[in-house]
Amino acid sequence: MSTRPQGAAPSASRFGRFVSGDGAVAFVMILPAAILFCLFYLWPFVNGFWLSLHNWDGFSDPSWAGFSNYQRLAHDRIFLAALRNNLIFVLAVVVLKNVLGLGLALLLNRALVGRTFFRAAAFIPVTMSFVAVGLLWSWIYNPVFGLLNGALDLFGLGGLKRSWLGDADIALYSIIVVDVWKWLGFHAVIYLAGLQTIPAELYESATMDGAGPVQRFWHITLPMMMPIVFINTILGLSGAFVRNFDIVYVLTKGGPNHATEVVLTYMMSKAFQDGAMSYAAAIGYVLFLIVGLASVALLALMRRQRLEV
Amino acid sequence: MSAAANPPLSRDGSAAHRFSVHRLGARGILELAGIYAALVLVLLETLYPLLWVLFGSLKTKQEMLSNIWGPPSSLVFQNYVDAWRIAGMGSRIVSSVFVTGSALIILVAVATPCAYAVARLRFPGRGLVLAVAVAAMLVPPQVMAIPLFMVARDLGLINNRLGIAFVYAATSLPLSVFILRSFFVTLPADLEDAARVDGASRLAILIHIMLPLIRPGVALILIFGFIEIWNDFFLAFLLLRDPSVQTIPLGLVSFFQQYDSLWTLYFAALTITTLPVIIVFIAMQRQFIAGLTAGAVKG
Repeated sequence: MSTRPQGAAPSASRFGRFVSGDGAVAFVMILPAAILFCLFYLWPFVNGFWLSLHNWDGFSDPSWAGFSNYQRLAHDRIFLAALRNNLIFVLAVVVLKNVLGLGLALLLNRALVGRTFFRAAAFIPVTMSFVAVGLLWSWIYNPVFGLLNGALDLFGLGGLKRSWLGDADIALYSIIVVDVWKWLGFHAVIYLAGLQTIPAELYESATMDGAGPVQRFWHITLPMMMPIVFINTILGLSGAFVRNFDIVYVLTKGGPNHATEVVLTYMMSKAFQDGAMSYAAAIGYVLFLIVGLASVALLALMRRQRLEV
Repeated sequence: MSAAANPPLSRDGSAAHRFSVHRLGARGILELAGIYAALVLVLLETLYPLLWVLFGSLKTKQEMLSNIWGPPSSLVFQNYVDAWRIAGMGSRIVSSVFVTGSALIILVAVATPCAYAVARLRFPGRGLVLAVAVAAMLVPPQVMAIPLFMVARDLGLINNRLGIAFVYAATSLPLSVFILRSFFVTLPADLEDAARVDGASRLAILIHIMLPLIRPGVALILIFGFIEIWNDFFLAFLLLRDPSVQTIPLGLVSFFQQYDSLWTLYFAALTITTLPVIIVFIAMQRQFIAGLTAGAVKG
């Protein structure tokens, strides 16, 4: 006799059995979570869609707008630029975090003196707030006494000095570097955990068969790491889509001239500077659709590859 | 490379093959040197900017310009006193502690019974609750910012620190239920059966028997929640518009925007807010990193 839930039958739905069994207890236990979830998750989610179908500044009477907010978005050049920036940001950040994170994990996986110290050090930026990281880097990028321009002078590369956040051509990439800097240790630690699950015998027999380090990486490490690559990609992907407001707001506020505008910064400025609440809600919905589709596509791909995570 | 003769510091020893310098050929030593060089580069890139802030926070404003790189020639602790006062750090820290503390208490109090019910009770709709939790993890709260603001306004929760604590608890809820459930599922059924035979209620079982056993799971959601909520700027920016209730990240940004020429004070404020979190992390980094990887990698 076992109360393990795996055997729970879904057919026990009659009220009497519901109350006499675990149903009533379960109901009471789930109720607080359900209330919290409905108030601050479900209600905004549904309400946001309703809002996006109206025209509303947040104060006067809302009027029905159909899908006109979405149609306007399709022709809004700043929104499209923000979307483009956002996609560049996501792509660059996900690739860099994976490649550098795996590289760092391979280094940290070696038997080294001071390994624990190196691991902790690599993880420190993860514990810092986006605000602190962003403000720190705004000083590093400072054209007058910033570390970066100072370092370029030091190595005789003064010709490369520039206003890293003021130049519209490179500001977005400067922000990408900051985001990768903050999260690198996080992805490296997850890779590290994955590396430690690869049995050492695989490497030993490959070495006996004459495989060099490069071959061992391509034929053992990388294939064995594919589930972890997926985990890191999913974590990086959703993070890069929706967690860039803080860092962009602190570093450039979307400037110069929208060169670093991302979807969330544009949504917030529409809502709180222009008072276009329903337009901003539509922006949020479009972002939700993009993130949702990307995540579902990745999960489907993962299932097709038969990768269990 | 004399240091390499010591045994490696790792205690898990699973992947770390013990080695000594005698077994390394010339090629091995070269390789090791390359690895250390790369790691030192990573270290420099990670830690030097932080050290730079610490140095800067102790310099005079003139030295900041004349001595960009090095440690301060004299220690100007007055920077910290001034930064604390001008940035209103005291009240910001109180706000952050209150908001984060309340949110974590609410989160654990709400998520634990829900995860327990989903993991160990049989009732109709159990699968639905789990499916909703997983689906909600795919909907980041940031995309609902505008309607969330409206809802909070309708409920009178704007500029209300307890109100935002409930919002934070709600946004961390799906992941927390999911994590705690996976801990509850692994506990053996006999434990619970024995207590039930003795006539213990479900709630008593949860509190007295199950909760102590899933402490690592609770620690995990507390760690995740703490980093998330303590550091959050976005939701606080959305819901705490009045400076008197603002948390540390909001305070830092407004200090930076109002007094952007007070560089040294600025570095001091950054140090005050960053250092405690780093110290906490270093003190418990083992649990921290272990907890982080436990959820991500099967087995």
